[in-house]
Amino acid sequence: LKPPPKEEKQKADGLSRRDFLKRLGYASAVALAAGGAGLALYDPKGPAPSEGEKALTGLGDYRLKELAIGPGKMAIVRGSNRAAMVKQGIKALGGMESFIRKGDRVLIKVNAAFATPASLGATTHPEALAAVASQCFQAGAAQVLVTDNPINNPDSCFGITGLAEAARGRGAQIVAPRAALFEPLSLPGGKLLRNWPVMAGVFPGVNKVIVVSPVKDHQRAGASMTLKNFYGFLGGRRNVFHQDINGIITELSQMLKPTLCVLDGTVSMMTNGPTGGSLSDLKDTGTMVISTDPVAADAIGVELLGRTLAEVPYILMAEKAGVGQADYHRLSPIMIDTRS
Amino acid sequence: MARRKVRVGAAQRLTGYGILSLLGLIIIGLLVQQARFNPAVNAVLRAPLKGRLAAAAGPANSATAVLLPQVAGFTPLAPVESFGPDNLSDKIDGKAELYLPAGFKEMSCRKFALESAGKAYVEVFIYEMGSAQNAFAVFSGQRRPGSPGSPLTANAYSTANALFFTQGRFYVEIVADRAAEGLQNSLESYAKALLAKFPTKVAKKETDLKTLFPKEGLAPDTVRLCAADTFGCEGLNNFFTGEYSLKSGKATGFMARRDTPEQAQAEAQRYLDFLAANGYQKVQTPAAPANFSVLVLDNSYELVFVQGRTVAGVHDATSPEAALELAGKLRSELKGKP
Repeated sequence: LKPPPKEEKQKADGLSRRDFLKRLGYASAVALAAGGAGLALYDPKGPAPSEGEKALTGLGDYRLKELAIGPGKMAIVRGSNRAAMVKQGIKALGGMESFIRKGDRVLIKVNAAFATPASLGATTHPEALAAVASQCFQAGAAQVLVTDNPINNPDSCFGITGLAEAARGRGAQIVAPRAALFEPLSLPGGKLLRNWPVMAGVFPGVNKVIVVSPVKDHQRAGASMTLKNFYGFLGGRRNVFHQDINGIITELSQMLKPTLCVLDGTVSMMTNGPTGGSLSDLKDTGTMVISTDPVAADAIGVELLGRTLAEVPYILMAEKAGVGQADYHRLSPIMIDTRS
Repeated sequence: MARRKVRVGAAQRLTGYGILSLLGLIIIGLLVQQARFNPAVNAVLRAPLKGRLAAAAGPANSATAVLLPQVAGFTPLAPVESFGPDNLSDKIDGKAELYLPAGFKEMSCRKFALESAGKAYVEVFIYEMGSAQNAFAVFSGQRRPGSPGSPLTANAYSTANALFFTQGRFYVEIVADRAAEGLQNSLESYAKALLAKFPTKVAKKETDLKTLFPKEGLAPDTVRLCAADTFGCEGLNNFFTGEYSLKSGKATGFMARRDTPEQAQAEAQRYLDFLAANGYQKVQTPAAPANFSVLVLDNSYELVFVQGRTVAGVHDATSPEAALELAGKLRSELKGKP
């Protein structure tokens, strides 16, 4: 048989060698141009990761391993001297040495939300911060950082509240919020915390976290105590979460597991929170709660405010989410009265 | 050389169109995704830290900012800050939820050191609420029980470290960080200077509803205006309430004026429906006027009636006698009023 003529073969294939090379050239040029354009527009950092891909899933679990399972520890201290109450409460739980080891780097989360003096009770009291920071250093902490992302200007907040002076006086370091400290976080299963900027940049190197909070009425949440204090890790236009305040606090409670919580109910803001304004909004409630369980600590705070758990729904919601125990009696709290 | 035309088969053509359609869909998908920035990016771009105020950095340019006077002895510690509905929560956090439903327009504030009171820290807040009624709503909603009234304005009281009052559409807080000798005089002198800068009062168009609460048995500092969701009933807005201790028991009176009698009737019905939905049962009260509706749940009595374009009644009375007594007095006060 004779092989088919060259022209006939080309017709059958539908493509000549010349055409093939031409098309290959065009396609390569387009591919190179697209790749080059992509490379030129490539932002190695990117504005934020795609949802669920690289976002943080939490700020960490800083609980002591032996206390991570089962009921936590708690001391309820009555009195009026914050330093003495913190000291005796922590001593009753085995001393700060049982929570902070030599060389630990401790982060203390305070409530410095407002640029108002400590006497108005809208923020963590500097005496409570000073007492906790001192105890950390005495236990051998290598570094103590103090932070919050306040509502008002951070410098004013830390300054006017007296927290900056209290921290510096004990050798602790204030970490004010700045853009570089924020990273997106998506809580697994979370409905609200999805790619939301949180102040994660204060955590690298930290291996213990202590939350020191006041006890306050809150117009929207019912009460602002330990769990609501976690709100201060959020960045962005976080006021949008006020529409589901119980939902966001419940999610925040799952975002971070602190080593220790200090709830300062020495004086509580009973009405007109969270800002207050009048000294008549405050009441001597004479109680300091030291607890490894933030839910249990807040349950006592609710009692100090003369309310029920039904009036502050996020506490039971956090319990349901497995964060802690709303029935604080199950922690067999150690009762101490510094006045006796 | 003439270009050779290549024949394209139907299957090839179809495949080609399919690939082009797929590429088109990918482009549309990319454009849609790019238009939907994730919230973290929006948050970071709009407010690198958490939306701190631009106004905080310099002089505020708002109507309330210019009302803050310079008073001898009050040394400014910071520039005036101003806030609108979008960023009020940047200053007062969750308490913004009290102001926003009540018609909040803007707020300016400034920090001072008060020399005469041991350099006390003082902060003055002026809230523009849009109307005198709205201003009263936020004033009364935060009133500290038992605090003495102040002669500064019709709605004014003081506490050990602060002064609170309304004037027209403005609500003012002057707050110090301590109670000190001579502090109140200083705060009052600042308040007077502030009031002197306020716009002059506009003549009242109609009777102030809150003045119609019968005086007998009323705890005066309990008169409040609830801007939204009164008694937990969604949409029951702008209701005045006042708490009573009567011989026949305790009760809370309420009144709200609407534009027309029909609107008042509809509002009354809304509340009655809310009560019924929450398990309240109607009570027969033969001696009561025909337009009184009385309901009860667990010994808590509710009474609702309409007088002209005012919906009024009694909430949480401890006995039917207390409900009827207070409702009768309210009706007498409302008679003949527009």
